[in-house]
Amino acid sequence: MSALDLPLREQAAGIASGEIDPGQLLDDCLARIDQRNPDLNAVVATFPEESRRMLDEAPDGPLRGVPVLIKDEWPLPWRAETVGAAAVPGVTTQPGESGPYRALRDAGAVIAGVANMHELGSSSTGNTSVYGAAHNPWDLERCPGGSSSGPAASVAGGLVSGAIGADGLGSIRYPSAYCGLTGLKPTFGRSAMGGHHIANTETIVSGPLCRDAADCRLLASATFGEELPAAEPTGLRIGVVRDPYWADSAPGVREACESALESLRDAVEGEIKELSIPDQDLILPAAVLVAQAEEAGHLTPENLNALPEELSVINRGVLKLRGLIPGSLTARSFLARAQARRNLAALFSEVDLIAWPTVPAVAPPLTDPTIELPSGPTSADAGNARQGVLANLTGVPGANLPVGLDDGLPVGLQLLAAWGSDALLLDAAEALERATDREFVELRPAAVA
Amino acid sequence: MDAGTAFQRYLDAGLESFGIEADETERMVMAGVWSLWEPGITQLRDADLDAVEHEVNADLSSPPPG
Repeated sequence: MSALDLPLREQAAGIASGEIDPGQLLDDCLARIDQRNPDLNAVVATFPEESRRMLDEAPDGPLRGVPVLIKDEWPLPWRAETVGAAAVPGVTTQPGESGPYRALRDAGAVIAGVANMHELGSSSTGNTSVYGAAHNPWDLERCPGGSSSGPAASVAGGLVSGAIGADGLGSIRYPSAYCGLTGLKPTFGRSAMGGHHIANTETIVSGPLCRDAADCRLLASATFGEELPAAEPTGLRIGVVRDPYWADSAPGVREACESALESLRDAVEGEIKELSIPDQDLILPAAVLVAQAEEAGHLTPENLNALPEELSVINRGVLKLRGLIPGSLTARSFLARAQARRNLAALFSEVDLIAWPTVPAVAPPLTDPTIELPSGPTSADAGNARQGVLANLTGVPGANLPVGLDDGLPVGLQLLAAWGSDALLLDAAEALERATDREFVELRPAAVA
Repeated sequence: MDAGTAFQRYLDAGLESFGIEADETERMVMAGVWSLWEPGITQLRDADLDAVEHEVNADLSSPPPG
């Protein structure tokens, strides 16, 4: 087995002990990208000279010499981000030292390339990008998930063992679920975000996508700028909101998540409590409107009329529609957010975690991203957003845990925790890994097994 | 007037008022997206939020005060 296939933490330990040559590891990584990326389209840029310079100058940090990828959502000193698009309305992106770049550099990591993403971060599918869609390693004709499509496809495809994505309305958790990875959406404001083109965001965070929780902990500790301590949780109270999050998920997804939930409960000697979320129907529209308001300052008629033909017609239409949303609705979305935050704070006085399927159905085809749910057929975006946006609207952390396969495609269980309890999510994920003998985190797509 | 017609009027008037150009395909996208958004937006529009206190200077990294 190549050192490239080891977890991040074992690569770092091997480099520190002298057993792994970090220069060879980087060469192997770049060769692997050359070999597999034509099928995956997960990586949109490599820059061997800059990567080797990062390695030469790497400090003796916890990730010294370890190759990682970063989503096309942040500038690097030698490359402006493109956000997977031919243009970002009203914004001219520039090269620079973004927060995640600095965090990775200071931890000693080596950025081996930039990972693909859904155009402008606007979908949970990952099926549209100016570079062409990334492909799901579990089935190259399936969506990898979005908007962090490239980070997910690259880790699941074995190009690297960890990547940095971004999550504004679920964009780390959906692709982690579609690709069978552990992904962490940190508490708002806790992970490095400097240099993001939406500087005023209150929904977007950077976060790790890795094969398991221990690697997520290592990578998140770098972007948090503080170590996330590990603990063995006991007596956890796990809240479950059945309707619609469980009840309206595909049977195979629900069964895998139920089984994992029971394993987690037993592993932590915990209990499961049935919950309901007040004013649940307001969560999705409020989250969408709050998020769109963050970019609305650039949606002038001049900028909207200058959208290039190279931008997908879906995004051109959506951006122009956003330009017409009444301010009164946006104001009401902030009231709904205040209410949702208070409601969630009350729930977290009763439970430690809240659990439901990360996505209600497995990855749909790239060419037709619709899913079949008990309530009927719907777009993957509609179904996924319903499951994912609460964490972004309120600021709490969330994680996707791989919990098995449905019809050969990965299923993910989402856990939410109270503000600042990011480490607890990873503790719970590790408890589940132990309880299941790491069965689900060791699953690999046939193409890379 | 049905919802589709009402939206089309709103769309036409809004695009014209703001001077936003949109071709037929973009208008079809807008109508399709609006049909997905409309149920939720209607609920948000009609929800009784009069008694909800604003969260001033909300700190999304922490639970709300109190």
